[in-house]
Amino acid sequence: MGQETWKDYVKKKAGGPKPLKGIRVLEVCTLVFGPSGPSWLAEMGAESIKCEIPPLGDVERALSCAGFLFKEQSPLFMHDNVNKLYFGVDLHLPAAQELFLELARKADIIEDNLRPGVMERWNVGYRQVKNINPSIIYVEKNGFGQWGQYAEEGRPSNDGAAQAFSGFSWMSSFPDRPPVKQMIYACDMYGALLTEVAVLSALHYRERTGRGQYIEASQTETIIRTMSWIWPYQYLTGQGAHPAGNRDASICPADSFRTSDGALIALAAAIPEEFKGLCTAMGKPEMATDPRFKDHGVRLKEENATALLKIIAAWAKTKTLKEIESLAEKHHFAASHVMNAKDICENTHLKERGFMTQVDDALYGKYLDHEFPVMMSKTPPKKKWTARPVGFDNEYILKSILGKTEGDVKKLYECKAVGKWADRAGRRPPPGWDGKAGINTLM
Amino acid sequence: MTRPKWADWADEVRALDDPRFAHGKPEALDDILVLDLSYNNYAGCYCSSLLAEFGAEVIRIEPPGGDFLRSCTPYGIYHKGEGLNYLTEGRNKLHVTVNLETVEGRDVLKDLASQADVLLETFKPGTLYKIGLGYEQLKEINPKLIFASITNYGQFGPLSKSNMPDYDNVAQARSGIQYGTGEMIPEGMTPENAPEWAVPTKAGPWSAWCVSGTFMAVGILAALHWRRYSGEGQALDVSSSEAYMRFDDYTHLWYQGGQNITERVAGLDNAIWLYTFAPTKNGGVFLGGLRLEMWQAFCDIMGKWDEWDVGSWKDLGPFMKMEVRLKYWPGIVEFTSQHTSEELIQMSLEYGKNGRLAPITPVVAPIVSPEVTMKDPNWNDRGIFMPVNDPVYGEIVVAQAQYKLTETPIRTKWVCRPIGHDNEFVYRKYLGIGPSGLGEMKAKGIV
Repeated sequence: MGQETWKDYVKKKAGGPKPLKGIRVLEVCTLVFGPSGPSWLAEMGAESIKCEIPPLGDVERALSCAGFLFKEQSPLFMHDNVNKLYFGVDLHLPAAQELFLELARKADIIEDNLRPGVMERWNVGYRQVKNINPSIIYVEKNGFGQWGQYAEEGRPSNDGAAQAFSGFSWMSSFPDRPPVKQMIYACDMYGALLTEVAVLSALHYRERTGRGQYIEASQTETIIRTMSWIWPYQYLTGQGAHPAGNRDASICPADSFRTSDGALIALAAAIPEEFKGLCTAMGKPEMATDPRFKDHGVRLKEENATALLKIIAAWAKTKTLKEIESLAEKHHFAASHVMNAKDICENTHLKERGFMTQVDDALYGKYLDHEFPVMMSKTPPKKKWTARPVGFDNEYILKSILGKTEGDVKKLYECKAVGKWADRAGRRPPPGWDGKAGINTLM
Repeated sequence: MTRPKWADWADEVRALDDPRFAHGKPEALDDILVLDLSYNNYAGCYCSSLLAEFGAEVIRIEPPGGDFLRSCTPYGIYHKGEGLNYLTEGRNKLHVTVNLETVEGRDVLKDLASQADVLLETFKPGTLYKIGLGYEQLKEINPKLIFASITNYGQFGPLSKSNMPDYDNVAQARSGIQYGTGEMIPEGMTPENAPEWAVPTKAGPWSAWCVSGTFMAVGILAALHWRRYSGEGQALDVSSSEAYMRFDDYTHLWYQGGQNITERVAGLDNAIWLYTFAPTKNGGVFLGGLRLEMWQAFCDIMGKWDEWDVGSWKDLGPFMKMEVRLKYWPGIVEFTSQHTSEELIQMSLEYGKNGRLAPITPVVAPIVSPEVTMKDPNWNDRGIFMPVNDPVYGEIVVAQAQYKLTETPIRTKWVCRPIGHDNEFVYRKYLGIGPSGLGEMKAKGIV
């Protein structure tokens, strides 16, 4: 079956070429929406330099999970900041702004998630950077973009606001129930991810032509892009779209059901062979030719879909989770347990794929986290290290990248253009740090 | 409305990146040819759309009967015979048919693959290999080919041999995200007798498919970048539930470090504060304030500064505990329920100008229906709902212009095409086959 391509992928992926080697990214980013993009680029081999205002740095460092911290560090911060260099540089100060411009001259991509105008006030905006590096790809991501009424009103924003504003939450509840918020910061993450498509496309264009450009993305617009049928439906019918709970309004059957052993199982079986398989599994092969259900388009109509899903729900209640999953496997339709953290952390498949990858971090020790989810047969992306304290790599950046002397460095600390961490959890090294582990050797 | 200090920047950048002026500007990816063989998998179509928006030449390759995904549409409502979901992701793509069950059809595919930069497919692992069209075989014909596969369980690992097809709702279930989202079981009830809505709830849109398709687009672009230096293509593997799971910042770290399983908390948040939905007189709002000052500002807006001794709070620490948040929750609900969503937004904007802690103010956003979103002048001004005049499907709105670029803006040239619409053009341009040759192939069932 062509197994050569992926043979020993997990064993071999730590070393080997990475696709974005040689690309340097500067980020002035906080929370989730900003830093996630440069993390993905860094997992693919780019050098991402995280610029934070010392001594407190990124506000996400202070965000615990209802009080839970992982060796004093925010789990969110650890997940969202991967493979980076940490520069504690106070962009309010002219000496710091000069340093940033020196780095910008050597950078390919700059990303920030500040409000419009802030970078320019700090003399490091696009209009200033492109004078010294015309081919820079400069990316600004925020709640509402760089122009338009909401942008100009200066409204603060974050993921929850975008879930609310876009209609995404509205469409993600049960009918006639209040909208619920997603467990994940969906609009932060998705905004960050989609923006990287624009960033890498711009990089591709630059390699063809030498030309850089400016990119802006808003987290409401990026999530709107994923809401597919809702927009043409509203335009064509003049009616508002409505939520459908766990039922997929566009695919039938596709829903979640309770099993006899109290589990929740998601199931789908739309293509004729799959649907036939489900009917056979249920002991009702005649249903496959029932005029209400035979044709997918007819099956999707409200009355038919409701009737079919009721039949499946009644059947599911008589079977255990394992029974349904094996029947799905046997009859070629889809079914899976609605999984939780325990199910996932104990799952063998995810570990064997290296998606649940062991991070062996110099400061935070060994733990499992998600690998970059695109496996690449010749250039496997890899999570190599996680969070570092504010300003952890100042010397490395100043000396190895910017060629500063010991004297220069001393002056920069004295005038506070650069700085290190505050003595607070999340900002400083974890307890037990020996003062040496994780420090990048000067080159 | 007085414009902000940076208004000149807003005007300058708008003149450069307004999507209304996108047509005619350069296209970032117009040197790339993509073959999209995805079948009944929106992740594939969504992925190739993102590339097509940047000008990649994308050829959708369907069996003669067409992609089953075309039939997947809300409530069975079609537009000119097309499913509304497929309609949203047909943009800028050529559509042809090839019968891969025939030897001649496979030869057509090989010929196209020899010319292509990217081949995207969503069949079960091994399907294309069995008919001589796997990565291992096609790379012999075209070593520069990037062979991208999106499936439910991936190309390797114990479940990769599964017979199960990939579906968005099942991928959402496997991601762990459905588990922690949704309304809680009412007090005193059990999962068995609770109302049907008190369950783990998936996202309404096809989030797992969109996320996996987007990750694959990012991977493809990275592979293209590496190919520039190495001259080599490679195989890419995305599992839809893994891709979506990656969006979960903290659940698995919290489980490992604290033995915690993230459960449903409806509009509240498991991890952070102030970060919640709250009911209003005419619906609901999102309230956000991840700094102490923003939470204090909201308490001030509620008139609770003295009553709760807000000025004495030192940090958000105490509010990290769910029990503490639940103590303040009734006060919040009592306040927000007395006002409309719009009133609360205005209070927040006002506070940001004149409040005790100005410019610090909480985030307040209205939870609206997509019907309201679509009528919002701001989003219409930004261009995301610009109707497209499609030659086949007429005037129609599909979300577009989701990001703005100054040099190579994305654009929607056409919305979609029916099955085999571009057979003549593609077979002529890429395969040198004229009308009678094509006619013969159709008669033999190859096309």
